Amino acid sequence: MGAQTAFEQEVAQLIVDSLNLEDTAPEDIDPEAPLFREGLGLDSIDALELALAVGRAYGVQIRSDDEDNLRIFASLRALSEHIEANRTS
Amino acid sequence: MSEPATPAHPLYATHDTPLARINGRPVSRAAWLADVHELAARLPEGRAALNLCEDRYRFSVAFAAILLRGQMNLLPPARGRTVLAEIARGYSDPIAVVDSREGDFPLPTIAVTARGEAAVAAGDTPPPEIPLEQTAILGFSSGSTGTPTAHPRRWGDLVAATGQALQRLEMDRAPGHSLVATVPPQHMYGLESTVLLALLGPNTLIAERPFYPADVHAALAREPRPVLISTPFHLGTCLRCGQPAPASPARVLSATAPLEASTARELERHFDAPVTEIYGCTEAGAIATRRTVAEHHRTPYPGVQVNADDGTSGLALVQGPQHAEPVPLPDCIEVHPDGAFHMTGRLADMLNIAGKRASLVELNRHLQTIPGVEDGVFIPPAAGSDAAGIERLAALVVAPELDEATIQGRLAGRLDPAFLPRPLVRVEALPRSATGKLPRQALLDLLARHGECA
Repeated sequence: MGAQTAFEQEVAQLIVDSLNLEDTAPEDIDPEAPLFREGLGLDSIDALELALAVGRAYGVQIRSDDEDNLRIFASLRALSEHIEANRTS
Repeated sequence: MSEPATPAHPLYATHDTPLARINGRPVSRAAWLADVHELAARLPEGRAALNLCEDRYRFSVAFAAILLRGQMNLLPPARGRTVLAEIARGYSDPIAVVDSREGDFPLPTIAVTARGEAAVAAGDTPPPEIPLEQTAILGFSSGSTGTPTAHPRRWGDLVAATGQALQRLEMDRAPGHSLVATVPPQHMYGLESTVLLALLGPNTLIAERPFYPADVHAALAREPRPVLISTPFHLGTCLRCGQPAPASPARVLSATAPLEASTARELERHFDAPVTEIYGCTEAGAIATRRTVAEHHRTPYPGVQVNADDGTSGLALVQGPQHAEPVPLPDCIEVHPDGAFHMTGRLADMLNIAGKRASLVELNRHLQTIPGVEDGVFIPPAAGSDAAGIERLAALVVAPELDEATIQGRLAGRLDPAFLPRPLVRVEALPRSATGKLPRQALLDLLARHGECA
């Protein structure tokens, strides 16, 4: 598993906090592993919660008709890159 | 027509309004019918077909093609392989109609590819007629016995119930409304409030299913005269996203779980539109509404009666023209002298997570029948889910040979994701009492000892 960048650490903390993943440590999230299904085993309810948290924290509104949507939630790394490229706060 | 007259009703109401809109492109009722005929010709002989299309336009095409062939739409509540296989087994090898064959289906599939682009001559060919007595759909609910219970509804039942809804919701007049929905069409509420309101009224279904709050808001801004059809959970995310609604729908419909009056007030402010709760269940379909900010009680649809329990089952019964016989309602209900009613609670065994219902008995059966699981139990959250967020189930499992991921994987094939436990904790034994019961406090203590409980 690759190392998390500083910003990935921040987003990992947001994931753990917003989804109440008490049994996952933020630093244990593999930045390149899928967030949904396999990997952390998150589902569509989690996707909504995570989208809300990302919107509140960074002002990035996630849309499913975004062509990149699958890619955005593909991994911690992809999500962090999307936020950094689009953040307004 | 010279055949002996079987009582029938047209497949759709003839209106100039589009039947559907796909990415903003209107599809006329004639173009839709061409797609229906094309698919109907490809369906094999049979009694029934699973309609698994996620795109609402393709679902509607499949729904109608299956009806035209005299078959039943099987509408599974979840898409796990085990659930689909269990349902398919009962209906002599049905096929599944799907949007795309890319997927993991335990039965043969036929894909709907049509997008309402067939060239059709403008004409006034009357819509095909479907016999009122034909079983149109089988919905499935979680029974306390464990296996999903099938609930047949005839075409005539759907026609009657949809007529009541069109009238009550004032959606029966041209030019109609755009039906923007976050609920899947396989769900009884999703079917009744989108596909049927478009087929049998002047309304237009929107093929896409908005998911994130930003999608919902964008659809409301894009579609003419929208009605938003959603759930307390999904509507709550629109409130919590912190963004104002860019356009007002004509109305907002909510169902699948009770809406708090305070949430309804916030929603009416957020959307600047009336919020109407629809009450119904898989067994009976939608039967009543209330404007949550103004009414405590729910008013049955015109022609529908709710009666207090008959003294034997303890359940209230509903009867309308769409019910062959009185249908017991899966909630604790108090009926007022004027025919309105209010809910006093859920039946003890029924859970509602993110608007999805399941029987605790059935969830436990699924868990306990996984090979390698010796014992196991789901623990419901203390408070019901509401707009502030989702409470998850927890589970304690005795399975010395399996790890958590394996058990979760097996459950994922059988259950809707909303019911997957978090956390799932492996223990050496469950704290069963002498009578085999599992006191809730003992379960919570055991969960807490494993340090997994918030």
